[in-house]
Amino acid sequence: MASVANPSTFMSIVRFLLPKIGQCLFVVWATYTVAFLLIHALPGDPVLAALSVKGGDATSTDPAALDALRARYGLDGPLLQQYVVHFLDLFRGDLGVSIATGQPVVDMIARTFPHTAALALFSLVLGFVGALLFTVWAYIARPAWMRNVVTQIPPLGIAIPAFLSGLVLISVFSFGLGWFPASGTNGFVSLVLPGITLALPTGAIFFQVFSAAVFDAGASPFVFTANAKGLAQRTVVVRHVLRNALLPSITIIGLQIGYLAGGTAVVETVFSRDGIGRLTVDAVLARDINVVMGVVVVVSVVYAVTTLIVDALYGVIDPRTRTRITRTKAVSA
Amino acid sequence: MTSTRGSRMRRIAVPLTAAAAVVSLAGCAGGENAAATPDADLAQDIVFALKEDIVCVDPQQTSLTTALIVGRQLTDSLLDQDPETGEIVPWLATEYEVNDDLTAYTFTLRDDVTFSDGTPLTSEVVAANFDKIVELGASASLANGYIAGYTGTDIASDTEFTVNFSAPNVAFLQGATTMSLGILSPDTVALSAEERCQSIVGTGPFVLDSYVANDSVEISAREGYDWASELRGHEGDAYLDSVSFPIIVENSVRTGGLESGEYDVIQDLPYIDEARFSGADYNLYAKANPGVPNSFVLNTTAGVLGDEAVRQAISKSIDREQINIIAGSVNGDAPTSVLSSSTPGFTPVEKALDYDPKGAAKLLEGAGWTLGSDGIYEKDGQKLTVTVTAFYAQDVLEATQIQLAENGIDLQINMVSSGDFFGAAASGDFEMLGAGLTRTDPDVLRVMLSPASKSRWGIVDDAELEELLQAQAQTADPEARQELVTEAQQLIADRAYVIPTFEVLQLHASRAGVEGITFDSAARLHLYDAAVISE
Repeated sequence: MASVANPSTFMSIVRFLLPKIGQCLFVVWATYTVAFLLIHALPGDPVLAALSVKGGDATSTDPAALDALRARYGLDGPLLQQYVVHFLDLFRGDLGVSIATGQPVVDMIARTFPHTAALALFSLVLGFVGALLFTVWAYIARPAWMRNVVTQIPPLGIAIPAFLSGLVLISVFSFGLGWFPASGTNGFVSLVLPGITLALPTGAIFFQVFSAAVFDAGASPFVFTANAKGLAQRTVVVRHVLRNALLPSITIIGLQIGYLAGGTAVVETVFSRDGIGRLTVDAVLARDINVVMGVVVVVSVVYAVTTLIVDALYGVIDPRTRTRITRTKAVSA
Repeated sequence: MTSTRGSRMRRIAVPLTAAAAVVSLAGCAGGENAAATPDADLAQDIVFALKEDIVCVDPQQTSLTTALIVGRQLTDSLLDQDPETGEIVPWLATEYEVNDDLTAYTFTLRDDVTFSDGTPLTSEVVAANFDKIVELGASASLANGYIAGYTGTDIASDTEFTVNFSAPNVAFLQGATTMSLGILSPDTVALSAEERCQSIVGTGPFVLDSYVANDSVEISAREGYDWASELRGHEGDAYLDSVSFPIIVENSVRTGGLESGEYDVIQDLPYIDEARFSGADYNLYAKANPGVPNSFVLNTTAGVLGDEAVRQAISKSIDREQINIIAGSVNGDAPTSVLSSSTPGFTPVEKALDYDPKGAAKLLEGAGWTLGSDGIYEKDGQKLTVTVTAFYAQDVLEATQIQLAENGIDLQINMVSSGDFFGAAASGDFEMLGAGLTRTDPDVLRVMLSPASKSRWGIVDDAELEELLQAQAQTADPEARQELVTEAQQLIADRAYVIPTFEVLQLHASRAGVEGITFDSAARLHLYDAAVISE
């Protein structure tokens, strides 16, 4: 990366990043607003809905009691006032209190977030490595029909629903062989099966983008030149083909985060894991507004920050982007 | 207990008894009084897979079955109730007395009971528990229902106290046997509602080690427990050393885990998997929820339901035996009253719930309805259509829908979230509600139907019924009360204010090597006598 010691280079990086940070904030605000409008447009009383989770058939429907609870959870007053008050609370790190459990939403998310982050990260790495291996295999596979067969395997990962693959993995590796636990959130062993389940579709998407870029690069003049120079096959693949194919794969990581946010909900249910996905499903079913809004904000922040990091990474991976930043500086100076 | 005659004899002999609801099961050694003896060579630790997060561990606040199963092990109640005979027996209280108008209950406590944090159980602690339940209000709605009209507790000594009510409260005695009125330690009582949801201290045979939301609950046996009720199979400490409750939401993972040996016990065996687990390798535990079985609860001010003939025709057009075969467990029975067979005071009603399509047709034709070309009755251009609002048991509703359609009645099913269901119940904006109401006392009928009840569901204007419901709530004499309760059940079924469809059965399973799991009167579980007897 360009030396940070140089103040003008530093300024140019700031100038490059500032609008992107602005975009991030806009994404978070827009997500919050749309989610707020949607959830309040639903019919029914959220306090009653959340109360019935704990109360069951004994749920109190006494209007006075409900009003008291509404005030306690910040759900009283006009909608606009709720919108402004809750939005300002976000900046103090206050996401309100869950109506269903009575716990602060921040605590609930802090409890579940690490589990989901570990799962998402593990499956991202697994999917990425898997896609890489398959791509290399497909690239070097001969004859052509063999290559075609290999490229058809990864799409199966996205064609089989996570719900099914999860249950199959549990039947074989937990109940059958007893290698991994079928449920729980304890340690790395509990991460393996759900990680694989989630890595299948993630890896399939990586593979699609990655293999296209690799084959593209493989047909390019610089690889032709490298081969002509007599470089070893391995050097050509690693140094020239893969490096050039990396950029589009990095780009879709941001999109994968969005997919994982939904995918974890299914996997966490099948594997009975505590996490953001299940928290969200439970909260939506219970119409626990504060939790839903809290999750939406946190996920949108993660999404925005990841996109920001990916944007910044371009400069590291692709020298051309670096030059563009410096040129911007030269023009504005 | 199936014949009406039998029930009548029983009514005279043993008033207010729960009818024989505990079904005998093939290959089931885990019935009540099963004298399980733990195998000294085996670790007395079991894994019990729950079907959902308990959300709140405090049995006074929650009414979720799953949470109550855990809460029952941690807390004891003042009294205990024999789930078979309905008899009330001492537990934490050695004796009790009630005044004639059911407004004052005097208890004498055992003097040797301590909470697991060492504090002794005294009258003051019990009083603080009840005071706090009132304070919790809507957060402890079920417990508050049992102490409706509570005005305070007079403490006579450390072991003697009187609980007072502003109006007759007949349900309190039964309530005092449930974990909803389980007694918590003074420190726990002083905590906020939310803190109590995370951790509680009781006098029970087990103590809470940890509760991790959406993941697991761990409990272990308490040393020096010496106040089990006489209904338990042994005395002293619980047989088990520890119970681990993983929360496994996916049904097939629970059943698969029981088969592979990962779990020793599973909650809520799906009825459809029953056959797989009915061999000698497994024990099944089945009991109907007490209270009002799954039913249509009617709004008699809505649409055609004001017409008694229509209501009765709906009831007669439902073949409950068939619904039970389609949607139920082989261990379950079709409902024969507006109270479920496991409710104290249950009496099978005569005729009103018989499947009688001819009688239904006669009633409708007599009321001026004619069969339309589409097979649905109509009158003055209006179709005979009724809507049921429900939030679970769609299979039962669909089976009913088909049966009603065959008999010319169009049933529309409106599935909503639980919150919207209670919203509809509160506002009266419904034609029929489709649900059951689990309570351990026949007073549930008053709670559900009386216009004076705060949490009523059905909308019924019937002075005769109201008089019966109020009278049973103020009658201390068990025999006299049973007469009133029986009469009320017959009247409600005859006039079809509540149309039962299905008895929900609690169905759990364990491997054969675990025995001694029993049901309490509320169809929740006791693990005190449970033991590992073989691998």
